[in-house]
Amino acid sequence: MMENAAKALFAFYCLAIAVGAIGAVRAENLVRALVGLILALFGVAGMYLLLDTPLLALMQLLIYAGAVVVLVFFAIMLTRTSDGFDEARPRPMRAYLFALLAAAVPGLILAWTVTRHPVPSEAKPAAVGVALLGKGLLENYVLAFELISVVLLVAMSGAVVLAFRHKGGGK
Amino acid sequence: MNPLVLYQAVAIFLLCVGLYGLAYRKTFVGMLICVELMLNGAGLSIVAAAQLTAADSALGQLAALLVMGLAAAEATLVLAILIVVARRFGRTDQDTVAELRG
Repeated sequence: MMENAAKALFAFYCLAIAVGAIGAVRAENLVRALVGLILALFGVAGMYLLLDTPLLALMQLLIYAGAVVVLVFFAIMLTRTSDGFDEARPRPMRAYLFALLAAAVPGLILAWTVTRHPVPSEAKPAAVGVALLGKGLLENYVLAFELISVVLLVAMSGAVVLAFRHKGGGK
Repeated sequence: MNPLVLYQAVAIFLLCVGLYGLAYRKTFVGMLICVELMLNGAGLSIVAAAQLTAADSALGQLAALLVMGLAAAEATLVLAILIVVARRFGRTDQDTVAELRG
């Protein structure tokens, strides 16, 4: 019973990811592409729930759907050009072919590797408490934790410096 | 079928769609959306590999959190670069800024 429910949910999330990702890539309107990205993000969050990592699902919604999507939306709105959408212009057949090639080659190599050398997998994911994760952040992996904080701080201050530099009427 | 392979297939799908979009899109915002898709695939792959094998589950979850933090930092920087490019060139597609000065 539970297994069937998990399979159905997996198929549902797969569908959400497929529809969302293809919409994010194919849509001519960038806002529609962003909606597709949001759908794919929710699908991945559902996959995290299936993998028994509720904290990651929450963080996925909080960081990606909450912060990154809003940033991308700002980027769309702040850089909107008056002459319509650049994505709507038709492009040569070559562009589609090269894009397909760029996607197919690494994809096929990775898919071949994964199916050819499957790692034995457990049927049920291992559940890890949040307390253990916090302990890991403060004991074993404290350096990575501090470094990501520094990276975020530098990125935020760098963004502020970049965006404000030309305000005084310089070039 | 092996559950891990299924999750990895979804992750590879996200990577492929992202790569396709990265090559296909002309505007930088569209490319940014595709990079986010690829990073999502990476996170999903890491978590699936950690949760469904004998590997350390806590390490996998923390690595996925790290990927999310890096994605947020990257989106912030791309937003700032886009604002600078839009201010200087008036548009943000790759053909506009493809030429070097000189």
